[in-house]
Amino acid sequence: MSSDHPVPAARAVDNLAARLRRRQVVGSREAALETVLVLRQVVSKARFSNIEQLVSLLREVGKRLAEAQPKEHTVGNVVRKVLHNIREEYNTAAKGAAVAPTRNVFSISKFVLQGQPRKYNVAPKSEMTISLKEDDPDDPDSFAKNLKPVLMEAIQDVLDELETVYDNVSKTAKDHIHSDEIILTIGHSKTVEAFLKSAGHYRNYTVIVAETGPSYSGHEMATSLSNAGISTFLVPDSSMYALMSRVNKVIIGAHAILANGGMFAITGSLLAATAARAHSTPVVVCTGQFKLTPAWNLYHEYGALDFTDPSSVLGYEEGPLVDKVDVINPYYDYVGPELVDVFITNDGDHPPSSIYRLVKESYDDEDQHL
Amino acid sequence: MPPKSSAGKEKDLAAEEEVLQAVILADSFNKRFRPLTVGKPRCLLPICNATLLDWTFESLALAGVQEIFVICRSYADLVKKAIRESKWSRPSSGLKIVPIITAKETFSPGDAMRDIYTHGIITSDFILVTGDLVSNIRIDEVVRMHKERRRTNKDAIMTMVVKESGPQHRTRSRGESGVFVLDPDTSECLHYEPVIGYPPKTLARIPREILAEHPEVEIRNDLIDCCIDVCSVEVPSLFQDNFDYADIRRDFVYGVLTSDLLMKNIHCYIAKEGYAARVADTRSYDAISKDILSRWTFPLVPDDNHPGDHAYEHLRGNKYIAKDNTVIMSRTAKVGPNTLIGAHTSIADGASISGSVIGQRCKIGPGAVLKGAYIFDDTEVGEGALVENSIVGSGVQIGSGSTVRTGCLIADGVVLGKDARLARFDRVSPRRDLVDGESTDGEEDEEEWEMVEAHQDSVTSVLGEGSNAVVWPQSHSEDEDEEVDEVESYNNQRLMRIGDTASDLDLSDAGSVTEDESDSEDEDDASSLMNGLSRTSSMTSVSLPDPSVSTIHNLQASAADLEFRSEVRQSLDRAFTEGHSVDNASVELKTLRMASNVPLRRVREAVVEAIVERIPIVESDPSKQRMEIAKVVTRWGPLIDRIGGVDPVETVEVLANHCSQSTRLPLFGQILAAIYQADIVDEDDIRTWHARPSSKGEDHKPGPHKEGLERCWAIGKMMIEQFDEQESEEESEEEDEKKRMKRMKRMKRKKRKCRNRRFLLRLRTSRRVVRKRPMKAAKRRRAKRAVKKAVKKRARRAKKKPK
Repeated sequence: MSSDHPVPAARAVDNLAARLRRRQVVGSREAALETVLVLRQVVSKARFSNIEQLVSLLREVGKRLAEAQPKEHTVGNVVRKVLHNIREEYNTAAKGAAVAPTRNVFSISKFVLQGQPRKYNVAPKSEMTISLKEDDPDDPDSFAKNLKPVLMEAIQDVLDELETVYDNVSKTAKDHIHSDEIILTIGHSKTVEAFLKSAGHYRNYTVIVAETGPSYSGHEMATSLSNAGISTFLVPDSSMYALMSRVNKVIIGAHAILANGGMFAITGSLLAATAARAHSTPVVVCTGQFKLTPAWNLYHEYGALDFTDPSSVLGYEEGPLVDKVDVINPYYDYVGPELVDVFITNDGDHPPSSIYRLVKESYDDEDQHL
Repeated sequence: MPPKSSAGKEKDLAAEEEVLQAVILADSFNKRFRPLTVGKPRCLLPICNATLLDWTFESLALAGVQEIFVICRSYADLVKKAIRESKWSRPSSGLKIVPIITAKETFSPGDAMRDIYTHGIITSDFILVTGDLVSNIRIDEVVRMHKERRRTNKDAIMTMVVKESGPQHRTRSRGESGVFVLDPDTSECLHYEPVIGYPPKTLARIPREILAEHPEVEIRNDLIDCCIDVCSVEVPSLFQDNFDYADIRRDFVYGVLTSDLLMKNIHCYIAKEGYAARVADTRSYDAISKDILSRWTFPLVPDDNHPGDHAYEHLRGNKYIAKDNTVIMSRTAKVGPNTLIGAHTSIADGASISGSVIGQRCKIGPGAVLKGAYIFDDTEVGEGALVENSIVGSGVQIGSGSTVRTGCLIADGVVLGKDARLARFDRVSPRRDLVDGESTDGEEDEEEWEMVEAHQDSVTSVLGEGSNAVVWPQSHSEDEDEEVDEVESYNNQRLMRIGDTASDLDLSDAGSVTEDESDSEDEDDASSLMNGLSRTSSMTSVSLPDPSVSTIHNLQASAADLEFRSEVRQSLDRAFTEGHSVDNASVELKTLRMASNVPLRRVREAVVEAIVERIPIVESDPSKQRMEIAKVVTRWGPLIDRIGGVDPVETVEVLANHCSQSTRLPLFGQILAAIYQADIVDEDDIRTWHARPSSKGEDHKPGPHKEGLERCWAIGKMMIEQFDEQESEEESEEEDEKKRMKRMKRMKRKKRKCRNRRFLLRLRTSRRVVRKRPMKAAKRRRAKRAVKKAVKKRARRAKKKPK
């Protein structure tokens, strides 16, 4: 369908795809935000006379973006989420209030939060009783014209979720961190940083930050936390196991959460999680729901860890060594579901075993493969 | 694209910001990849299954370049076609690529630059790269720094991107590299010395004034020159002005930095992060392939951002297999680490592959062994064949049981029969009649082919039955008539060959020599040498006692001196006869001095000589003679002080020296008096000169020269006596003015003291060949114009001479 229609805002799509490919957009939230913005442009410029046209268009764009950088899972996630929301909006708009009760299906996150309403449920959609006429021969644009405001709102929902994710995750921080606890963390995850800082307002506790070689992002984390008035220790990665017996909780961030409850996280996370398991220390993962990915990594795909250049391990200036040493420098660790105790998301806390259910709720099945 | 509402604003911003331009020199101007480059330009050779040009485009696109000019010469049509068909020419790529075809007479990068100038395509600062670049450096960052620097310093014309590596890094070219002398604070490149591998270069000469002017200097021999240059608009025009610049590094950078006329600065950007290297030869082809496979170029790696738009899956041990499931690999085939296998390739039972790159649609026969082999598309390797450290073109058939040993290059379309045996470093191509007749540089190719065909009798390699191949001769060094560039000489080329360790060549290893060589240096060489000269030691060597320095100058300059003298004489003659103003004459002299790099004293000698010889001798009438002298001296005397430094004592010395050897010896006294009258020298200067032992000719051998000097000295003595007399007369003349006189005297003495101090300073400075502080803008412009004129004139003269 879209083969005869050029993709609207093609340049923006190509631009983002190129930047993703060249790793000029890095970080899961950054990539997700950029993707939503591009999708919004695509929708606003798209011409369609029925919902299938729009969906296939979005899927095509989404596929291009997701394939441009398969390691940034959030790109695909956001596309799926937007598709999901668009379908939902369309259904409510097309069938009017009659179908509205179907929204009250059982939701695990609602169950966990004991009936607290989800954010996009409160949106006053019941007013949207527009007469939609698909494939109107007289005015092919009327469908798009009528639906677009609703769709934009649906996309805005995703955008809002992304923008408020840190606040929402750290809302419950004080319930997880208690006074005089010792927390171990690794890497410089913005989510974890916000979480710890927010807990710092209420509690007096200590954070041990592992250096997180070879990127040493732990250094920034330690600086940032101690600037916020939290008592912080920076330790080398190697001492993680030795310190684990004194640690009350391990709080780490994630790059992507897989449907089986496992996750990709910065190198060293596996080390921390395994050490925590050995001491039966709880491992808490702070993350936004946009990182939920409908993938399983059942075969431990080797390339999935995203091997970066060796220069942070072995300098390029070490001329004679470069020829003789093969350096393997993975950016991520795969942390299996058995090593994680709980995921704290912007929409409630979930055990690894129920992640598959969350994934099913957030995305439509037909979008699993874009 | 931003939403529509802000699109207008964005456009305004874009208009303000200049379009970032880049120029790719797609021709290599050498033949290191022969015979792979028969029928194909080098930039279309694949590395890791994407053409070099694609890698270059990707490197530039990464930096946000919007407009690219591709300068192509040989096989320009193929390059154009490749560009047209690549993904880069799609509108969505955001690149505007303009291929420019230069004349066949373009033989060097310098010619190409002149071509760029005549095309007038460059409107702002641009990036200059070669068409064989693999880089992930953020060049836009370099451009930003370059522009910032330009804002304060208009003379910073170029920023070279270099990458730190060890001196013996695999990617660093052993045959062709450079020593960079940098100022660590400003990262200005103070000096560049090209280094070639064979014959090994052990000395690098660094002009002394660099050490004097910069408190801290870094001398580095461990940088990979990425050949990414951020140039300003002037650079092509500089090439145009200096028509003898051929190579960008060896001629242009070296020339600009050693010239004290151009007053241009070149800076270096030492890339700390990122990767950049040039596929300049087969050796670096091998090294860069390895770098790509071991992910140094991340994110430009086969499984992520492959410029050829292939998709590869990254497996344990840096193995990359095409992702579309079209690779047919036998269960018993062994695929070792650091290997890339293209789509639709099949690998039969028992084949073993390691450290290799295999193109698309290849067939590897059962039991074949590939080690460090680079195999392009559509090639078949027969059963049990062995290919080691070699590059095999596309569409090649290697018969079963063949052996291709280290360092072989096999051109496209070669067929090797059964059990062929290629010797090490053999270069093989199909016979001439099998290659497309259409070739770009006809004559040269013709010669080359003739040589290849003549060579066939002496071939020792076995090409197998049914082969269509010819073996190319190993070296071109046998034909003496052809003047081979040092860099392209056979032995130096060996250092750039794939798989060649060149262990039989006598190479002192370039990395470590720098330390020991300082001991063996002869200290009395005038231009200071590269060693760990600290600032203090350079200062001591600068203030050597005068005679030794001047003798050295004499020694060194003797050859160039004659030429210089005649030049000066000619230019002064012109000035005298055509009645130039003193200003113009002095500018001309200055440029001459810089052009032939002679010490100031030499100029003074020449000027004094010219003036003295200018004075007509009037035998009979002394008063008329005096008049003539006065006429010449008042007209041209000021020129003596306008040549770039004022040193009256030296003037007197030089005058005496000259007169003593000239027929105008009797005029010495009168001339001295005349220049005294013209305020060119004054009393004290004559006294100082007189007091010097050398002026009496003491250190000269007895002979007419010494006698002359002695006579001059005697005349000087008389003059001084006269001065003394005058003074005492003056003193005695009026009693009541004695007090005033005393005051005057005191003042005079003070003045003398001051002058003495200044004079000492002058002495110190005049001994060095000092690059003076930058001239004022107007002066500089004038000087430049004069240089241009002089260059043109010389060119004209040079043209005339052969007739």
